[in-house]
Amino acid sequence: MVASTLGNNGAKARVEDEIFGRGRDLRGSGFRTLLLSCLGVSLLVLVVLMVQVVSDGWSVLSTRPIDFLTGVLRSQPGDDALGISQGLVGSFWIAVFVTFLAFPVGIAAAVYLEEYAKQNRVTTIIDTAVRNLAGVPSVVYGLLGLFLLVKGSKYTNWLFVHPFNWFWKLFKDEAAFQGQSTLIAGGMTLAILVLPIVIITAAEAIRAVPSSLRQGAYGVGATKWDVIRTQVLPYAAPGILTGTLLSLSRAIGEAAPLILVGAITGRLAPRESVLSGIGSFTEQFADKFTAMPIVIVGWIRQPGETFQPAAGAAIVVLLILVIAMNSVAVALRNYFEKKRG
Amino acid sequence: MPTSFQRTVRTIGALGALTLAATACTEIGPEPGSTSAADTSGSIFISGSSTVEPISVRVAEMFESIAPGVQVDVEGPGTGDGFKKFCDGETDISDASRAIKEQEMENCAANGVKYTEILVGIDGIAVMTNPANDAVDCVSIENLYGLIGPEATGTTNWSDANSIAGEGMPSAQLDIFGPGAESGTYDSFIEIVLEDLAEERGQEATTRTDYNAAADDNLTLQGIQSSPTTIGWVGYAFGAESDVKLLEVDGGDGCIPATPETIASNEYPISRNLYIYVNEKKARRNRALVEFVDFYVSVGLDEAVSTVGYVELTEDSKADVRFEWNG
Repeated sequence: MVASTLGNNGAKARVEDEIFGRGRDLRGSGFRTLLLSCLGVSLLVLVVLMVQVVSDGWSVLSTRPIDFLTGVLRSQPGDDALGISQGLVGSFWIAVFVTFLAFPVGIAAAVYLEEYAKQNRVTTIIDTAVRNLAGVPSVVYGLLGLFLLVKGSKYTNWLFVHPFNWFWKLFKDEAAFQGQSTLIAGGMTLAILVLPIVIITAAEAIRAVPSSLRQGAYGVGATKWDVIRTQVLPYAAPGILTGTLLSLSRAIGEAAPLILVGAITGRLAPRESVLSGIGSFTEQFADKFTAMPIVIVGWIRQPGETFQPAAGAAIVVLLILVIAMNSVAVALRNYFEKKRG
Repeated sequence: MPTSFQRTVRTIGALGALTLAATACTEIGPEPGSTSAADTSGSIFISGSSTVEPISVRVAEMFESIAPGVQVDVEGPGTGDGFKKFCDGETDISDASRAIKEQEMENCAANGVKYTEILVGIDGIAVMTNPANDAVDCVSIENLYGLIGPEATGTTNWSDANSIAGEGMPSAQLDIFGPGAESGTYDSFIEIVLEDLAEERGQEATTRTDYNAAADDNLTLQGIQSSPTTIGWVGYAFGAESDVKLLEVDGGDGCIPATPETIASNEYPISRNLYIYVNEKKARRNRALVEFVDFYVSVGLDEAVSTVGYVELTEDSKADVRFEWNG
């Protein structure tokens, strides 16, 4: 108790007044106001944007929400079949690619860097490089995808295209991945894009594991693998999860790399349903694709403002998706933190 | 040799497909009154100009109802990018808002890509100002050169143009908005409006460097609306749908307003042709492609072009186009 250590109620009041009182500490309260107004300005911008987008898209969202979700790309803004199903499907598969490619590789790389790598110059260089990569503009990753995955040369194909086709041939006879503007190329590009972010957040989470936990485990005779598996990873799980889910939201929202990789803007003909067997399931990966941000860009680009309602509605759907994913991230983190105790 | 794993996977896939096919048959049944196109299947990939993209998409949508088995995909990265893909043999049809360039022809020839050029529609370039601007109703090609040409760099008043070329521009603050250099509309504007005069005067054929260039035409339109004495240019389809004042243009035969009729008859001086280029080798191998182009020149020219906001060809030019494709 503050009061008891000072042994004097007058002193307590004075200290409280010093800390919380108005008017005395002018600079302090000035700084506080400044911070508050910064928060206010950024919230205001956000609110203005949201109101704008929702009012743009309201005419679509209020009259035909289900049709809009199940519709496809059309040339006329008033078309009853106009909608975003193709964008949703593309974004879903991109999320799948990111989950299955970037997350395991990223988390494994983080475990290696934090737990196994010797602290020497090479590790420092790699560490710095990964941090820099996280800050590289997404267009650059688009170019990388374009040259490695879409255009592909004799040499670069050994990196991605050939291994992927080898895996592919387990399912189908022909090599499906021909280095075109396919869903595989788009998904892999975005997986590479978020990889540095996954590594950094996972490494931070692992670094935050108290060393007493590790030493305790070693003390009772656990091997290094045991320590990582039973102590480090479970303790770091909330942090890793938050990072990975946030990077997934980032991948869902990226437009620039997909424009370069060649996502379709104008029309994507109806495809055989994914449900009609694993053949069409894998075919879809090697097929042309579009994604939510690309659908939005395509509509905003159209003449006049006739596609504005559709674009607004699509933005609202994408926003809801991303907010939902971020909420899942928060919920999972809370759950694991509670479990960790 | 397929492995046993492959066989299992395929069997599962085939079973799934069969179940679905069975349900599909009972639900839909054979289509009544099917034509030959209805039995065609195949896929067509169209890339190229974002200006022509809506026309091709519209034609593809109409084609879908008579040939549901043909899968037509359309994208619009730009005329130049489209020709790159086209000459690499990646696409079946290339949309273009200008004729193919010499270098692109060589590129195609080097890869053994032969093509047929088909005129599908016309897009006027609208020269526009703010609706509040009463001082100007008509500009000549010379006026435009004086306002937007390379020699105008640094000028800030409409009347400054009078000392460069043309006459009669009022004294008013000059703000210029137009598409950026990556746009086909930018190229066309230089080619149709600025090139001849620039050559005559020993200047480089380009625009002034200090105008507000936008990648998105809607931004150009917003710029035009932002102050009362702006000038700018944009595709007619964009300009006609917006709250801006389209200026009449004098190409030497008096002031001509931009209307679908004057653009189609070539009276309006600033217009450009819209083309599709068809890969001949692919057309020989892919029946669906031939049928699609047949449909494009027969029904598409009449019904798709004007629906998406461009100007239809005159009946005579349509007849020429059809004769050339069919003959």
